[in-house]
Amino acid sequence: MEYNGSAIIAMTGKNCVAIAADRRFGVQALTLGMDFQKIFRVTDRTYIGLSGLATDVTTLNERFRYKVNMYRLNEEREIGTKTFAHMVSSSQYEKRQAIPEFPWRFGPYFVEPVIAGLEKDNTPFICSMDTIGCINYAKDFVVAGTATEQLYGVCESFWEPDLEPEDLFETISQALLNAMDRDALSGWGGIVHVITPTGVITRTLKGRMD
Amino acid sequence: MPLDLSFLDLKPAAARFMPASVLAPLDGPLEHDAIATFDLAPVSNPTEFIHNQMSKDAEHRIHMAKGTTTLAFKFAKGVVVAVDSRATMGPYIGSSNVKKVIEINPFLLGTMAGSAADCQYWERVLGTRARLYELRNKERISVAAASKLLCNMVYGYKGMGLSMGTMVTGWDKKGPGLYYVDSDGQRLTNHLFSVGSGSTYAYGVLDAGYDYDLSVADAIDLARRSIFHATYRDAYSGGSVNVYHVKEGGWEFISKTDVFDLHYEYQDQPRPALV
Amino acid sequence: MEAFASTAPVRVPLEHRFSPYTDNGGTTLAVAGSDFCVIAADTRQSEGYNINTRYSPKLYPLSNGSVLAIGGMQADASTLAKRVEQRLEWYQFKHDKPMNTQAVAHMVSTMLYGKRFFPYFAWVTIGGMDENGNGCVFSFDPVGTIEKHLWQCSGSSSKLIQPFLDSQMGHKHELLPPGELTAQRATLLVKDGFTSATERDIYTGDFLEIYTITRDGRTRELIELKRD
Repeated sequence: MEYNGSAIIAMTGKNCVAIAADRRFGVQALTLGMDFQKIFRVTDRTYIGLSGLATDVTTLNERFRYKVNMYRLNEEREIGTKTFAHMVSSSQYEKRQAIPEFPWRFGPYFVEPVIAGLEKDNTPFICSMDTIGCINYAKDFVVAGTATEQLYGVCESFWEPDLEPEDLFETISQALLNAMDRDALSGWGGIVHVITPTGVITRTLKGRMD
Repeated sequence: MPLDLSFLDLKPAAARFMPASVLAPLDGPLEHDAIATFDLAPVSNPTEFIHNQMSKDAEHRIHMAKGTTTLAFKFAKGVVVAVDSRATMGPYIGSSNVKKVIEINPFLLGTMAGSAADCQYWERVLGTRARLYELRNKERISVAAASKLLCNMVYGYKGMGLSMGTMVTGWDKKGPGLYYVDSDGQRLTNHLFSVGSGSTYAYGVLDAGYDYDLSVADAIDLARRSIFHATYRDAYSGGSVNVYHVKEGGWEFISKTDVFDLHYEYQDQPRPALV
Repeated sequence: MEAFASTAPVRVPLEHRFSPYTDNGGTTLAVAGSDFCVIAADTRQSEGYNINTRYSPKLYPLSNGSVLAIGGMQADASTLAKRVEQRLEWYQFKHDKPMNTQAVAHMVSTMLYGKRFFPYFAWVTIGGMDENGNGCVFSFDPVGTIEKHLWQCSGSSSKLIQPFLDSQMGHKHELLPPGELTAQRATLLVKDGFTSATERDIYTGDFLEIYTITRDGRTRELIELKRD
């Protein structure tokens, strides 16, 4: 987790959810990129944030994209947020341990996923997971990355129920920016997606570049 | 009013671990000449104890503030010193407003890299020693002598886990002085130094733009820019850039600039031409 | 029979691992305003997953009017507080005046550094009024690094509360400039910070003790936090 660094949060609002992440790609102290994608679109109503080892972030995104596409072809419908969360969980648990007889079957992926989306009836759904797929459901907010403690502190103070999309955007942005400023390994700008029944609002945040 | 240094009188059993040269009074009976003795853990190898306690896998690790970019260079019009202001404890940013330039006296500056406590304490002791030198010799201590005093003091504790990488700068009879002193007992002098986790990035910018005949304004800008670029790439450097200029009449504090503002200021400027 | 570590000519007693430290958890916080200082700490004292007591103050009101807040190991904290108080007493006898907060801070710094090779396991914060009647806060790491702050949180919940204070007191990432911070608002934010931190940090809770220092003196307040 501390090799590349990251900060990801998801928050619920009134018929909307938001997911936000920092944009740093670094190797320990060295910052290499400031436009690294950590949040990926799954469907129009589901987004996933992957925090942790950058190489696994990229790999897992592609694995999930493949699985979601196969699901769409087989089922002829989009995958639901909860279903997707369980798929992610299973994919993570599959690689729980390296199998001694097959040493190339390494495990686990060093990634803590955060999933945010709206269900069919527009109820918000968010959850986070550990590296081996244990799901943590929450009604308010979930966090992941190197700045988790900072994020928990600010979210616990800032969040309130039934936020409208614009207020949710402000809340999640302030939480992310202020938490990142106390973490050396994440930051260098942020990105926020607010998922509403009518569409997704995506904005980038101007953050500290140190 | 004299400093209350009565704690110097306390001589715990630990004193026997100190090298004789450190404990011996230099000359005269002035009590301020005595160097403080430190409490040691009541074990046969206290050095090993403190090493273990600071190691990564210690059960109750004693974390010390670390991570830095500092630089100083001599040029025709004196010395420019620039530092960042971030203190990290692991990945957590403990502070963004650390004063990493220690004002030893109106003519001497020291920079801070490594353990903040070691730098602060020993450079404060250096301040008292420099003052005593002035009183005895009726002239200011040279930068060379001051840096050597510091070097000798920390050398006495070599191997005991002190962590200090400092630049001592100032102005004396010979003109501008710049010395690098560290806790291993190394003492060097040169035109240009950068110390800390972000030093390689700072050197990159500094070397490209450095010229002995730089104007004061350009030198200050170069120093600030070098620290800025180090904070940009190095996760453990950041906050604000503090710049000082050492000249004949002593040092002058130039500026404190938040790198958040610097980033957007530099972004709109054309890139400086390389030499 | 006495045991020895080796058969080498110099025989030292056999030593078992010397581990003199315990972390008793807890959080301390201090805020400096233009004419006040608020200093607070929770009162839970724990060891691992056990709570030793729900009320063990981490704030030590000093005879000069300042307040010392010490987290980390309780034994080291109370020893340090006792030694600081004794030094204040000596100073009073010698100079016939109380030591000012800045001087106390620098004294604590050298006291901590005096144990550089066998440190106190203590995170110290000092809150008080300076000579001009302005609030001031100093904080230290276990070996005496001194730093002056406007607000500072240390201890087990420092990572949770500090970014919240940066946002609400420093108004970071806001377009409007920060207004004047009042003692009332500071106290409110301190309470908010602690109630939030208590939700997530198991080492913080039970009671919140707050001292408010102004030119007129010191007032104490004790409020309840969650006890789970």
